[in-house]
Amino acid sequence: MPDKTKLSVGYGANIQTISVELPPSEPRPWDSVDEMTVVGTPLPRIDGPLKASGEARYTHDITLEGLLHAAVLRSPWPCAVVKRIDVTPATKQPGVGAAIALVEVGDKLIFAGQDVAAVAASRPELARAALASIIVEYEPAPFVVATRDAMRDGSPQVHDAAVEERRTGADEPGAAEAQGKLQGNVRPGRSQKRGDAKRALNKAPVRFEATYTTQCHTHSALETHGLVVQWFGKKTVTVWASTQSIFGVRDEFAALYGLEPSKVHVITNFMGGGFGSKFGANASGTALAKIAGDLARAADKPVKLMLERGEEHLCTGNRPDSIQLVKLGATDKGKLTAIHVQAHGSAGVGTGAGVGRNAASVYTKVPDVLVESADVFTHAGPAVAFRAPGHPQGAFAMESALDELARQLGMDPIDLRLAHDNHPVRRWQLELGRERFNWDARRKAAADMRARSTRIRKGVGCAVSIWGDFGGTEARVTIEISRDGRVVVKNGVQDIGGGIGTIMAQVTAEVLRRPVETIEIQIGDSKLGPGVGSGGSKTTSSITPAVRNAAELAKAELAELATTALAATSTKHLRWTAEGVSVGRQTMSWADLCKRIEGEAIVAVGFRGRNAAAHPKSFPGFETPEIAGVQFAEVEIDTWTGEVRCTELLAVHDCGRVMNELTLRSQINGGIILGIGYALMEERVMDPSLGVMLNANLEQYKACGVKDVPDISIVLTEVISGNNSTGAYGIGEPATIPTAAAIANAVGDALGVHVRSLPITPAKILDALEQQRRASQEGAK
Amino acid sequence: MSKRDAPEHDETRGLTRRGLFRSIGAATLVAGCTTDDPSVHPEQAPTPDVDGAIGLTPTPLEFVLDGQPQKLEVEARTTLLDLLRLDLDRTGTKVVCDRGACGACMVLVDEVPRNSCMLLALDVAGASITTVAGLGKSSQLSALQLAFVEHDAMQCGFCTSGMLISSSALLRRSAGQPLERAQVEDAIAGNLCRCGTYPHVVDAVLSVANGPGAARRGSELLRAKKGGA
Repeated sequence: MPDKTKLSVGYGANIQTISVELPPSEPRPWDSVDEMTVVGTPLPRIDGPLKASGEARYTHDITLEGLLHAAVLRSPWPCAVVKRIDVTPATKQPGVGAAIALVEVGDKLIFAGQDVAAVAASRPELARAALASIIVEYEPAPFVVATRDAMRDGSPQVHDAAVEERRTGADEPGAAEAQGKLQGNVRPGRSQKRGDAKRALNKAPVRFEATYTTQCHTHSALETHGLVVQWFGKKTVTVWASTQSIFGVRDEFAALYGLEPSKVHVITNFMGGGFGSKFGANASGTALAKIAGDLARAADKPVKLMLERGEEHLCTGNRPDSIQLVKLGATDKGKLTAIHVQAHGSAGVGTGAGVGRNAASVYTKVPDVLVESADVFTHAGPAVAFRAPGHPQGAFAMESALDELARQLGMDPIDLRLAHDNHPVRRWQLELGRERFNWDARRKAAADMRARSTRIRKGVGCAVSIWGDFGGTEARVTIEISRDGRVVVKNGVQDIGGGIGTIMAQVTAEVLRRPVETIEIQIGDSKLGPGVGSGGSKTTSSITPAVRNAAELAKAELAELATTALAATSTKHLRWTAEGVSVGRQTMSWADLCKRIEGEAIVAVGFRGRNAAAHPKSFPGFETPEIAGVQFAEVEIDTWTGEVRCTELLAVHDCGRVMNELTLRSQINGGIILGIGYALMEERVMDPSLGVMLNANLEQYKACGVKDVPDISIVLTEVISGNNSTGAYGIGEPATIPTAAAIANAVGDALGVHVRSLPITPAKILDALEQQRRASQEGAK
Repeated sequence: MSKRDAPEHDETRGLTRRGLFRSIGAATLVAGCTTDDPSVHPEQAPTPDVDGAIGLTPTPLEFVLDGQPQKLEVEARTTLLDLLRLDLDRTGTKVVCDRGACGACMVLVDEVPRNSCMLLALDVAGASITTVAGLGKSSQLSALQLAFVEHDAMQCGFCTSGMLISSSALLRRSAGQPLERAQVEDAIAGNLCRCGTYPHVVDAVLSVANGPGAARRGSELLRAKKGGA
């Protein structure tokens, strides 16, 4: 029976002692008593100089002797059968090394942008030019691209048979597999249930019901999907990939070609963003790796395939749209008795439309809850996990409905939330935000502007998020301490932009008491040992405990050497400092200590133990902590033009132990700014008559620029959970969940009427005001 | 406009757009006014005189890149961006949208920030081009690059070189005068960042222009600690 370890855990001033059972190999987790000197400090990212000088080499930037550039011919039709395909004319074009067909005669293509043929040539423009010579004849077939249209009886059917679900490491862990049977284009799927919501709704004295819709949102990472493939014979290959999962690429590539995974060497030294879309070797809607691999074999030369911007929008994934019917039941005193959400969403030809956990898992004091969601198939590019899959759309609908109910009942929206949410950290965050955001005064000011019907209105709103710490145990981190005193930390994890290498250096420096700039970090290569995929906001919570554990093992070996050298009676008497190690008045420098290492170096391998604790609350269905967050937004609206801007945003987040406040702030800013684009501007526009995307670019697909960014303040409510040896959680996803919902609620506060559809464009604002005006005229009659 | 448009056919500058029209297009333009309307009788249109025209084969080009004189031959269709990345291996300049919408490929053309995907290589004949590599190496960063690192004005880093070019142009224009936040926002309004790093970019630029105290408030950390944060 392992011993119980006592830990001092909690949040704010609420600290308590809990007992946890640790595996024998696991060090005592850092708790609220441990004083950190490097971890938590705002250390600038260690590879910053490489990025700021342009010296960082991304997959896009790889050059090799004899490298060919690939281009892909894509279907112009949303639905068509291939009648003829001939790629031989392309092989005769200048510079072309190989041309391959990716479809056969008789194949049915089911979205505009699907793979048809590919060419590799000595220059990208020659490859693109050669595509034009490929002969393809299509027989177009009926199609449907609008979600509501696809739900109607008699609509063209996208899939004739059951659809296999494509899961990636970026999907929310624990999300149930869809089980329902295909009915037309609708496949009922995941549901979350507590009690009997339908019965409770029937009995409720106050009922609220509304339908909320959200748009399809594309990831639009700046570095497009792509890879470089170099074969060494038939069985060994090196792949440079723009990926957020090096080992996902390795395994999928190995499976595609029947190779030993160890013979697939994957390198991602730097990558230009992924947001959930860059998991496998292939992307959700294009067989990138197979195309590049086949072209490289056919041409017997290395091949680089980097998608163009338009392709990135069409076939590499997106956040599904949604149509959510939300029904709430309550007493007239504002006690919620039932929540029922019926959600439909289209992941195009793929699966994965969901609505996250706000409705099912935040308001745990509501006894009866039912959340049902269904995939609706359309002839459009398949979706894939996108920063907190399902959550932003679900948060928008649920948090909007709560605000509308509060308005109907004359209640304060924060009070309504506090009455139904029993997560102690989120309750604290709501109260903190109420005070810091000057909520009561601003609500009053908004009501005053509404009463006076001013042209410019302001309003405030808040919304909450739920996420789990899903740290995985698969990483193996190696630390080498050489005789010359060098410390090298190695792991095959990729840096998606969060700055994992920097935090690895901080943790190592903390354990070894070495200056952080002396720690050398090697990441981004499958030969450096098993890492984790950067999905589920789990990179930091998976990797840093393994780093600490490896460093502790190496330090234990050094401690033995030091004990002997300094004639100490026990390793416990050693004091470690930046200079070296000492016992009493005797000190030995780090350099001298390392000279005593036998052989070349101490090599220690560490892994992350299973989750030890989930204080103060665990994520529903998991032994891991539940991460809480609340955001408060202010908007300013010109009621004559409908122009709406988010002017101020306060984000209050829990991310476990803060590992690096500087890079953490970057991630939170990023989550918020992505959420603002989702709330107000971004939308994939499909032409219903042509079945193609109209804004597959970056000038008409409207992502936030610097001028769309509000004044952002961040409050971090640190939680020490005892969960893992460093106490790190993740923040990438939680930070974007509540933003759009908070903005929508602020718009509702400013106008006195809710806009139930994202993005909240000026046209929708004017429409909502017009409906409000008509309703008040009706009321006056 | 800038001096880019001034000389039409300067020997040292190779081809300009106007020069191109003059050499191969003028005959066609004039032909449109005659009675033998080539839109009706295209077969009768006079063949353009291509003698001495530039662009059908690789054309000599000279310009200065990050302080180093370059002398090479390029095809007329090659963009400045492709020339930099594919022929000169200056991969710090990124390709993102390839149509002037995102600013990731920005370089300074005689101190003016331009999207290199929207320029033909031959457009910069005789000009002085500065890429991110010309601002400073990783071992010897400029003050602005250093400020980007210190303020964490980068996440994935793919927009960083474009942001640096736009903001270094602003700092060169302002020549040591203090800057307002809005001026920095104006300067980087054409640079898209999908990680949402804008607040830190603005802070970094302001810290260089106005001194280190200029940065906006950051975050507030409420520690878990017995007896209160």
